Amino acid sequence: MATSPSSPAPLLTLRRAAKSFGGVRALRGVDFDLAAGEVHALLGENGAGKSTLIKIITGAHRPDAGEICVAGRTVDGLTPARAQSLGIACIYQQPALFPDLTVAENIGLRLDPPGAGRRVDWRARRARAAALLARTGASLDPEAEVRELSMPEQQLVEIACAIGAGARIVVMDEPTASLTAREQERLFAVVRELRAAGVGIIYISHRLEEIFALADRVTVLRDGESVGTHAVRDITEAGLIKLMVGREVAQLYPPAESAPGATVLAVRGLGCAAAGVRDVSFEVRAGEVFGLAGLVGAGRTELARVLFGLTPADDGEIRLDGERITPQSPRAAVARGIAYVPEDRRRHGVVLEMPIAENMTMAVHPRLFPGGWLRPRAEKDLALGFIRDLAVKCAGPGAPGGSLSGGNQQKVSLARWLATKPMLLILDEPTQGVDVGAKSEIHRLIRRLAKGGLAVIMISSDLPEVLGMSDRIGVMRGGTLTAVLPGGTGAPAVMAAALGQGETQGAA
Amino acid sequence: MSAPRPPAAWKAALLRHETLLLAVLVAEWLLFYHFGTTTNRRGLVVGFGTLDRQFDILRHSCEIGLLALALTPIILTAGIDLSVGSLLGLCAIVFGKLWHDGGLSIPAAAALTLLAGALGGGLNAGLITRLRLPPLIVTLGTYSLFRGLAEAITHGAVTYTDFPASFLFLGQERWLGLPTQAWLFLLVAAGVWLLVHSTTFGRAFRVIGFSPEGARYAGLPVGRCLALVYVLAGLISALAGLIYTARLGQAKADAGTGYELFAITAVVLGGTSIFGGRGSVTGTLLGVAAIAVLKNGLACLPVVIRMNAAEEMSGLLTGVLLLAALTGSMLPKILSPLLRRAQSG
Amino acid sequence: MKRYFREISVTLALGLVLLGLAVFAPAFYQPQPLLSLVTREAPTLVIACGMALVIICRQIDISVGSQFSVCSVAAGLLAAHGWPLPLVVVAAAVIGAGLGAVNGVLVAGLRLPSIVVTLATMVTLRQGLNLLRQGEFVNLPDGVQWFGLSQTAGQWTLVGAALAVLVACGLAMRHLAAGRWVYAVGTDAEAARLAGIRPQLVTFLVFVLLGALTGLAAMMNIVQSPQVQPLAGAGLELKVIAAVVVGGVSISGGRGNVWGAFAGLLLLACVAPALTHLRIEAYWEKAIQGAIILLAVVADGLRSRPGKGGRG
Repeated sequence: MATSPSSPAPLLTLRRAAKSFGGVRALRGVDFDLAAGEVHALLGENGAGKSTLIKIITGAHRPDAGEICVAGRTVDGLTPARAQSLGIACIYQQPALFPDLTVAENIGLRLDPPGAGRRVDWRARRARAAALLARTGASLDPEAEVRELSMPEQQLVEIACAIGAGARIVVMDEPTASLTAREQERLFAVVRELRAAGVGIIYISHRLEEIFALADRVTVLRDGESVGTHAVRDITEAGLIKLMVGREVAQLYPPAESAPGATVLAVRGLGCAAAGVRDVSFEVRAGEVFGLAGLVGAGRTELARVLFGLTPADDGEIRLDGERITPQSPRAAVARGIAYVPEDRRRHGVVLEMPIAENMTMAVHPRLFPGGWLRPRAEKDLALGFIRDLAVKCAGPGAPGGSLSGGNQQKVSLARWLATKPMLLILDEPTQGVDVGAKSEIHRLIRRLAKGGLAVIMISSDLPEVLGMSDRIGVMRGGTLTAVLPGGTGAPAVMAAALGQGETQGAA
Repeated sequence: MSAPRPPAAWKAALLRHETLLLAVLVAEWLLFYHFGTTTNRRGLVVGFGTLDRQFDILRHSCEIGLLALALTPIILTAGIDLSVGSLLGLCAIVFGKLWHDGGLSIPAAAALTLLAGALGGGLNAGLITRLRLPPLIVTLGTYSLFRGLAEAITHGAVTYTDFPASFLFLGQERWLGLPTQAWLFLLVAAGVWLLVHSTTFGRAFRVIGFSPEGARYAGLPVGRCLALVYVLAGLISALAGLIYTARLGQAKADAGTGYELFAITAVVLGGTSIFGGRGSVTGTLLGVAAIAVLKNGLACLPVVIRMNAAEEMSGLLTGVLLLAALTGSMLPKILSPLLRRAQSG
Repeated sequence: MKRYFREISVTLALGLVLLGLAVFAPAFYQPQPLLSLVTREAPTLVIACGMALVIICRQIDISVGSQFSVCSVAAGLLAAHGWPLPLVVVAAAVIGAGLGAVNGVLVAGLRLPSIVVTLATMVTLRQGLNLLRQGEFVNLPDGVQWFGLSQTAGQWTLVGAALAVLVACGLAMRHLAAGRWVYAVGTDAEAARLAGIRPQLVTFLVFVLLGALTGLAAMMNIVQSPQVQPLAGAGLELKVIAAVVVGGVSISGGRGNVWGAFAGLLLLACVAPALTHLRIEAYWEKAIQGAIILLAVVADGLRSRPGKGGRG
């Protein structure tokens, strides 16, 4: 364990922090410390526990165990308000700004002194906003409406707020994700300035070159544990990657049982400006599980939404079973034989208030209920069939979706789409929030479906899952498909492709 | 792992609401029967308990009932339509004008009136589905527009009367034992019931109400469903306008004023959630019955007759009833976190 | 100035209408009738200020007409009982605030949709009033009408008072922290909560404020005639909402201001006399009002369609 660069008490210390959600242990006894005047990078693949750690630090979550010390004093019961008053600020990836108000007002609402009857000094607000924005290097008009700003610009406003709040501990969650090279440089300058002023910065990023350029120390998280804190000058990129992914593949994944068949999906140069997807080309064959890997924000869900017609493509072509299609809506996509099991199960996958049977038949009304008349018998039969096939643990087809566990809800969501008898099945994070037992059930299910002739695209942030389940692995980064790797590729190679290691620096 | 729960728990809950409402309805009816029925000097039973009165209740409840039926699918989709009462008035006027000034036959005028209603509903539908405007403000605007058009067409003064007896039969006579319009009402009620409970459209309405995004992801025809419910409401409002005119024997621009409150109250009373997704046509019918009995029962109470305040009392009580029904539906949600906190200490 | 596009366009439209009237119906500009028209609209302006706040907060209140009637009758009765006028003014505002508080509790406390709540309170209040008063007028004692001043002086007083309320609201919404909170809550209540604002309290208070302003407006109305008409508030809510929506306040909250509402109100107020002078019958007024609401909403809808910038 490397020592911190300066001797006085660390700004922030976490000891044995632990947090579980339901049955899932997101953090298991993590030690972490942040010194004044340092940039401490936090690295780890999706689901390693980074965001949970951050939420504990900012007070959004209460840890189940462990203690937090700020400036040497133990803090009990940290809340967001308390964290703010202790000088902790966080720049999230999704800024929580008011779209109809100006930049100056947004900053003002956060930073103005409290009091309902206080007079609002617009000139001071504008001046302060301009000053703070200048420090972030952003060329934004304080009078611009936030609604008109792009995402990276909104992030800069958030950073300006943090600077203005005089935070001593600043957490940045992938701040450069969509910045141009020049904006990145300016951001780095801001970070260095803050560091020189004694602020401690926790910097989450997947861009290894940034970590080496900016950070003093780096902590790697894996499966909810800290696997090492090193001074940046004491470690290499390869070493970091090894720390991130190195583990025994403890789970066995069901192997492919037959060779893939004909090409079902062929995509060439697919792009959709609104979704941020560009120039994607790949093929998926019947009986094949095509894994789609990449970091959060790489564009995998966006690609799925383009294929499914939620955000229709404006470039390139999609060929399904040899025929060119242009799905303009989910309805059209379903009619063609594409099914998409969405990532957000609770909002888009299952209607919690409605019975399981109704959820399962929701996408097949034209076929199951010809003429528009409901047929409860047929619906019940279908539901019972899937309940049996997928081993859904429930009180019956009439039980509401909300009464099921996460894994079983996922099965219902899956059943809904299997009922449409699709040619192509796109699964978006199929085992997210699902316990271990149900996970392997779902894996076996996916294999069985593929064996039955379905072409499956599986989007997953769980690297072992992608590695273990896929016949081939497509890796996305920055909205485009950067590599298609054969199944059995090792984790480091996939992770490297996802991180863009080996690519020259400078985003578009 | 989920613990086994009684099957169709949500269905049981809904049924409970309707049975409660039925109990309230029966209690209400008995109350008014007891206090509102007397024997007059000639030894005849008068007041609430007479068959005539009961048929009157049935007659009066047809128009509001139709509007409530029209609103049920809309509220299921988490929408609202404030213009149904005004459209009723406009259609009554259109009918009167077509027949009286246009010289059309009654059936032709009626058919065109229904078309007018559908167009009115279509205006709402177009603005809501095509332009994605909030139903609240759109129907607030058409609430004013339709009533305004009715006033404009009649120059604020004209009333159409002298309809042929064959037409008035619809509103004032009986057929096969029941008031004529009751048969129409039952027909529409059956139709709406089938739509909501037995068709894929009804299923889609609920999904849209629970989760409009979820409905889109599931490939349901959201635009088509929304257009359907608003056009249907327009059509039914037109029918209600015809019945209203037949019942009163005249078509005036203020026909149906204030009916939307009663209709919405009936729907909410019947257990349909104002937030969408949950509800039933049976509940709406019971709600209509409850309100109709309330309105007419009050008019039979001696104290109300003395004060000559039947309309005011019924309006007042309906308003209070709506607030009580809304509060009742929200209290469990508000109280449960408080209770939980109290339990955990 | 793109931010105020809506308000500017309404003002331009108003200018055009006024110009048109000057050319085609110069009789409109006779001082006494014009003053009377403006005085008649003064109470509506006061209510419109409150309504703008409520709608910016992403709520709506269609019970203001009934609140207006109740406050009018209550104030009239108090005056008839000999209460001194200043006290009656305060009482009217307090009663209005109380009525607004009922709406506020149900909407902010129980999280019920404001449209249905205010629909219910609208009818309850109106019918309750009818029940109690049976449509009876209230005769006001001497000295109440025009505050005991001459008609012209009284009219100018009322116009001045309404303008004062307008300016106070306009300034407060721009320069008072609490005013900005209304915008924040109307835009995104959750983000507001995270920023330390209390959305439920803000929501409750805007309903109370609207009620108080309605009470004030009722007072401003009853001093204009020797009797109080209990039916005075009929249709008022629609008129106020139309004015506010036309003036650029968005029904989805977070946008607009009272200056736009003022311009919208003047525009709509000119419609009736414009109709008269154009020889169009007055019974077209309601239809035109509805059409204007729809046009304003459609314009708003079309404007926010091409979504610029990214949000997630």
